[in-house]
Formats: sequence, structure tokens, C-alpha cells
Amino acid sequence: MANLKDQIATELLRTKSLPVSQPWLDNFLSSSSTAQRNTPLPALTRTALFRILTSDFRESLASRNATILPVDIADPNVQERRLPGCIPVQVLDIEDIGTSAWSQIEAIERVERGETVRGREIVRTVNIGGDEDQGGATGSGNRATAACTNAGMDADANESGGPHRLVLQDAKGTRVMGIEMKKITGFAIGRLSIGAKLLLRDSTVARGMVLLTPENVTLLGGKIEAMDQAWKTGRKERLLEKINGTGGGT
Amino acid sequence: MAGSKVLCVAEKPAIAKAVAQHLSGGRMRTLHVNGNRYVKNYVFDFNFGGTWGDCSVTMTSVMGHLTSVEFQREYMGWTSCPPAQLFEAPIHVYVDKERAAIAENILTQARNCNALFIWTDCDREGEHIGTEVRDKARESNQRIIVKRAMFNNTERAHILNAARSLGDLDERQANAVAARIELDLRIGAAFTRLLTLQLQPLHDSLQNHTISYGSCQFPTLGFVVDRYLRVKRFKSEKFWGIKVMHARDNMKVNFLWSRVHLFDRAAVIMMLERCLMAKKAKVTKVNQKPTSKWRPLPLTTVDLQMMGTRYLHMDSSAVMKTAEALYTKGFISYPRTETDQFDKGIDLKKLIEKQLEDQSWGEYARGLLDGNFKTPRAGRHNDRAHPPIHPVCWVSPSALSANEKKVYEFVVRRFLACCSDDAKGQSTEVEIQYGDEMFRARGLIVLERNYLDVYVYDKWESTQQLPNYRVGEQFEPTEANIFDGKTTPPNYLTEPELIGLMDANGIGTDATMAEHIEKIKMRSYIGVHSRGGGRNAVKELIPSRLGIALILGYDDVFAGLADKPSLSKPFLRKEMELEMRDVCAGTRMRQHVVQQNLDMYRELFIHTQRRMNMLKSAFRRYIVEEENV
Repeated sequence: MANLKDQIATELLRTKSLPVSQPWLDNFLSSSSTAQRNTPLPALTRTALFRILTSDFRESLASRNATILPVDIADPNVQERRLPGCIPVQVLDIEDIGTSAWSQIEAIERVERGETVRGREIVRTVNIGGDEDQGGATGSGNRATAACTNAGMDADANESGGPHRLVLQDAKGTRVMGIEMKKITGFAIGRLSIGAKLLLRDSTVARGMVLLTPENVTLLGGKIEAMDQAWKTGRKERLLEKINGTGGGT
Repeated sequence: MAGSKVLCVAEKPAIAKAVAQHLSGGRMRTLHVNGNRYVKNYVFDFNFGGTWGDCSVTMTSVMGHLTSVEFQREYMGWTSCPPAQLFEAPIHVYVDKERAAIAENILTQARNCNALFIWTDCDREGEHIGTEVRDKARESNQRIIVKRAMFNNTERAHILNAARSLGDLDERQANAVAARIELDLRIGAAFTRLLTLQLQPLHDSLQNHTISYGSCQFPTLGFVVDRYLRVKRFKSEKFWGIKVMHARDNMKVNFLWSRVHLFDRAAVIMMLERCLMAKKAKVTKVNQKPTSKWRPLPLTTVDLQMMGTRYLHMDSSAVMKTAEALYTKGFISYPRTETDQFDKGIDLKKLIEKQLEDQSWGEYARGLLDGNFKTPRAGRHNDRAHPPIHPVCWVSPSALSANEKKVYEFVVRRFLACCSDDAKGQSTEVEIQYGDEMFRARGLIVLERNYLDVYVYDKWESTQQLPNYRVGEQFEPTEANIFDGKTTPPNYLTEPELIGLMDANGIGTDATMAEHIEKIKMRSYIGVHSRGGGRNAVKELIPSRLGIALILGYDDVFAGLADKPSLSKPFLRKEMELEMRDVCAGTRMRQHVVQQNLDMYRELFIHTQRRMNMLKSAFRRYIVEEENV
């Protein structure tokens, strides 16, 4: 029995860099039926991995020093530092900082009204004022049109454009902000669930923000259902608070 | 059939006159028609060729639709029946008083003729008017032979050609119009009576105010209200970005950030710091390529209305009325067309030739004939009935009213632009990597203006030139700074935008859009306000409290109903419009389409009745209590 436990733990650490906590694994094994215990090791390991991805890392992972974030990681006074090795974290929040909160709210409301998706029917918006770019856009005009785009003229694309700002949490509960410096596949609002698991590999932290790039992020997937639900329900409210909080005001 | 007597009927008096003049060569007698000041009978001889040969002809016209459709007398009073009954109440076709003399004229003339040639405009409505005329003529002469002339402008050769290659009326198109007329009558009357009777008593300002419903009007109003609410509810937010400047060869080159701007200040500061830490920027791309600005596509009605409202400072219904006047006088081709490709058979150079004598663009036209001519681009639409709108002949500006001059000039310039070459230029793009961030600078030199010289409505200008950069080269930017800004609300809807939205969402046909906009103005659902002053003034469409209350009230009525889109949205009307196309194509029966639509709208009607309290409370909120949205 103990042998089986070690084997699973070793396997998960070797293939996924996940240091599973002993008590969690004990609990996992004792809760599985005899039939399951007779299943071959690879299958059992897969089941364990699946459970871990839908678990809370604070319960399922051991907090060894090498695999957790430094406690002062969010310190904005540190210009730059490296995080050597592999640190598993879970996503607590994701925000699109390339798009104004208001146009995100408008997009949510369009979905609420059933306008974006009703079979094939879509209320089509047209942009008449904007010059169609035929390969000869003028430099100075660029910013103006971009500003107008951000007012929400065409926030219709189904996926958030990013870059995204994430709140990440390690096995010990330390939180840190992450900025998507280069587009990472799978990072989008609605696609990346709350509670999804990532591995940070030899990452750089600048002014308390982890710089996320495809080279040093491995997306393991998963989610924490309850947190994800709560996050979705509260999203519009949070966006509204953000607008009112930062004191934009018309 | 030599020696036949033929009756020709056009859609409008001016067309009848123009056609008669071409066919008779000016040798005709003009006879007065009893009871109508506008319609005349023109009598002359003409050889239609083929089996017809020499005929004695009477050319006359109607004035638009000859007949109307109405409920029978007992249903006419607003309180004569529950409005829901109007979905099946009997209706009848009749000639109303104003048109009695015109109908009588056709009846009398047809009695002595062997044949009836229909010269109504070649579109759906024209086809339907043709069948109205035919039915009337057959009342007095059952054996009369009916033919149809196909034409799309009133230029002489074209008219003579049309007279010698007659076809038949298209029954399907006429059926589609008949279906639409019946649906508009029943649905419009039922909802309008319901809304007016229920909502009028709610406030003094609504006394004597008809609160009408139309399946095109409402979605049109919906677009205006929708934008208004977006402007009113808009919340501004701050954003930050990075700008990089590099001075080289006495030029200041501004590089724009590939992320444009972000809504997180701390992240932007961090990114700038990492740029500065890198010290040097590296040139990753230098792209020099020829670029062009394309000449416009041949002109369609929707485009004419959009461009007209945007550049000519006229509203769309004025643009259409003016274009029709120009067509009737024979200066431009038929202004109702979806076609944005010229037929191969049309002699474009000949049309250009006619513009040579013009003071403003004659010289440009000369240049086209001397070798600058290019075959126009072909768009993707072809209604198989009419060519794109183009000038038919030259007319001296002094012969035109102010509005006619503007529209005619636009049509001509657009046409000449279509037959010109694209504007050519050279664009340069330099991309640099600075830290982890990418920046771009762009330059454009316009080398050949080509069509831009005649099409004064398009702008394309050279920008600052860029100094030389080599790929791989590194340099230290002169300045790198944070800038900030605020998001701005969208503008209120303008008429060209509204037409664009109606077109994209299938509300109305190109021919009727302007009427729907006119209608919601007339009903005081929307008003027009000017933003800015002088020549740059933009006319914006703002909904009235009544308009807002109707749309928001209706949204409440249909809220939470799956598969029941609000009447303020374009979905239902779009479906109806598509079904009309099916009727035209012959794939669906008129009666079937009518029945199905009536069933659907009846259901929506019952639902509206049930939740009338929601409409009422919206009226109380926005009209009585003047609550803000």
C-alpha cells in the first residue's frame, strides 16, 4: 500500500512536477474502492492527477520550499528577480487589461439579451466612420482609431484579446499577480477557468508581477468548480466596481 | 398585327412623357385626362418591329400604385372590433378617390386597344403596379394582350431598344409585393390600434398622437435607441501606453506601441522600465512596399444614400427624391439598384465621352479616354434588373436645382472614379523590439493620385517620411515615455450609419429604407440634432422619450422569452424580407408566406396584450415621470 502511494507520488512529481501532499494522497487512496485499487498504476495515477487538477492546491500539494513562491514575491520595490525551478500555482482571477471594463460589460449584456448568439442571427454592427485600411494606414491616425475601438465598437470577438492579468496562488496560499507578456494559448476569459493549474518554470518577476510567456508557463488545465461559478456570477459586478472605483466618470 | 392599337402605361407622368417623346420623335398629340392635372395621354405612331409593326399608340401613366388594400367598412373604425381580429378580417382591393380618374382613363383607353404595354419601373413595386394596371384594363377588355418593356434609364437608344424587345410581367415579384402589402396592413393596423388605444390615455402629450407600429419602423427605431443608451450609459476609463521617439537625420520618428494601450498602470510602468533596462532597441523589420487605395465600387442605392447623407448634407429621403427626379429627367440611370458590377455589354467609354464638355471634370474624363481608362472593379451584388447608378448624359449645372446639382455631381464623379486607376503609393513600416515590447512606425508617400483627383470625397495623404533603418541595427531611442488617456463614448447614430445598420440587418429594401427613417421622424419617435457647426456639422439621430419608452417597454414585454425576439430587434423583419425573396424566386407560395407570418405575429400580439402592463409602466417611467435612462 505504502509502495503504491510512493509510486503515484513519484510519478506525478516526475511527469507533472507536482509534489502531492501525503495526507491528501492517503485520503485519495482510502476513498477509492477496492476495485479501483486493483486498477493498474498508470490508470490510478491519471485519476489522481484529474482529482488534483480539480482540487485546491493548498490541500492537495505539499508546500516544500523549492516549489512555493517566496513570501515577499509581491514586493513592488524589487526591480527584477528569478524564480528558479518549477512552481505549481492555481488561477484565482483573470482579467483582460487590453480592453476597457465597460466594453466587456457591454459584451456581457449583449449575451444576456441573447443578441450575440441566437442561432445564426447576430445584430451586425457596422463601422462607417472608420477608414478601411487597404495597406496604407497613416501613422498618426492609428491611435485615434484604436481609442475609439476601445470604446467598444467591436468588442464582438468571442475571445478576450488580452493581454491578461492573472492572480496566482501557490500551495501555501501565497498570492501573486501575473502578466501575460506574450500571447499564451488557452489564456482567455471563459476558456481559462478559475482554479486552473499552471506550472511556472524559471520565471522572471518584475516589480512584484510574474512575467508569463509561453516559454515558462505550462498549462495543466482543470478548475475549482465552486470558485469558478462564483467568479462567473460576480464578474459583471466586479467590472462595474472597477470602473466606479478607479473614478473614471464621464 | 400591323395597324394595331396599343396602350402604353408608365409608372409616373414624367416617364410617360419622356418615353413618348423618344418613341414619337416629338411628333405626338398631348391630350388632357379628365379629373387629373398631372396625367396626360400622348398619341402617336410607332413601329414596334417584329409581329407588331406600325401601331397607333396612346401613352399614359398612373401615379404609383393604382389600388389600395383596406379592411371592409365595418372594421374601419378604431373601436369597431378587438384589434386582434384584424389578423383575419376580410380585406378588399379598391381604387381610392384620388386615383379614380386615372383608373377610368385606363378603362376607357383599353377598351379600344389590342395590346397593353407596361412601362412601369423595373423593380418589385413596378411589377406589382403593372399587374394593377393589367387587371384594370382587363375589366373593359378581356382579350387585351399584355407585354412589358424592360428598361432602366430614359436615354433614347435604350428606350427604343426596350420598345422593340418586349417581355412579360413577372408575376412572382408582383406576388411578393402583394404579400408584403397585406402583411404590413394587418400587422401594422392591429398593433397600432392596440398601442394607441392602450397607451394614449397615459399622458396629455400623447393626446391625438397615433402610436404606430410597423415591422420596419420598430427595428429602425431600435437601432437609434440602442445607440442612444450606449452613449448615455457609457463610463469612461483611464488607460496608459508607451511612446517611443527616435531622432535621426533631423527627423523625429514616433514609434507606436503594438499593444496600443492597456488599462493597468502598474503593468505599463513595469513594461516601460524593462524597455529602459534593455537600453537599446533593435530593428526587427523594415517593410517597404507599394500600396494602393482602391477606387470605389460601382454605385448602389444603399451606397448612394450613405454617401449622400455623409458628404452632400442631405437626408436620405431627400437624396432619393433628388435621384429619382434626375432619373425621370433622363440624366442618370435608375437609382434603385443593388448591383455593384457593370455588365460587360455596357459601353462605358461612350458614357465617359458625354461628360467631356463639363467645366469641372470634363478634362478628367478626357484623360480617361486618352488612355487612363480602367475597367471598373466588380462587386459581388447583381440584382439582374438594373446596372449600377451612372450618369446617362451630361447636363449643364444651370439646368439643375441646388440639390440636383449635388447628387448629379456625386453620381458622375463616382462613375468616373470607377473607371479610373487606383491611387498608388509607397508605404514603409519599421518595427523595433525594445526590451520585451514591440513598436512600429509607418510612413506613406502618395505617388499617383489617379481616381482621387475626381473623387473628392476620399482622402489619402502622404505622411511624414521615415529615415533609413536596417534590419538588425540597434539604436538607443531618444525618448520613451508613458502617456495616458481616457476612453470616449461612441457618438450618437447618424443617418448613414443607420442605413448601414438597416442594410446589414435586412430591414427594408434599398428602396424603402429612407421612407422608414422618414416615418419614425414623422411620428416623433426620433429627432435630428446637429453636432458641430458649419460645413463639418454632423446630424445625429436622438430618440424622443416616446421612442425610448416604446423600445424599452417592448424589450420588457419580451424579456426572458426564449425564441421570442423583441419586436424592437431586426430578426423577425429580416426573416420576412428573406421570405419575400423566396416568393420572387418562386420557391414559396405567396399565400403560405402570408399565413405563416400572420400566425407568428398573432402570437406576438397576444403576448403583447397579456403583458401590456409592462409597456404601460415603461410609459409611466419615461414619459410621465421623465425618469432618466
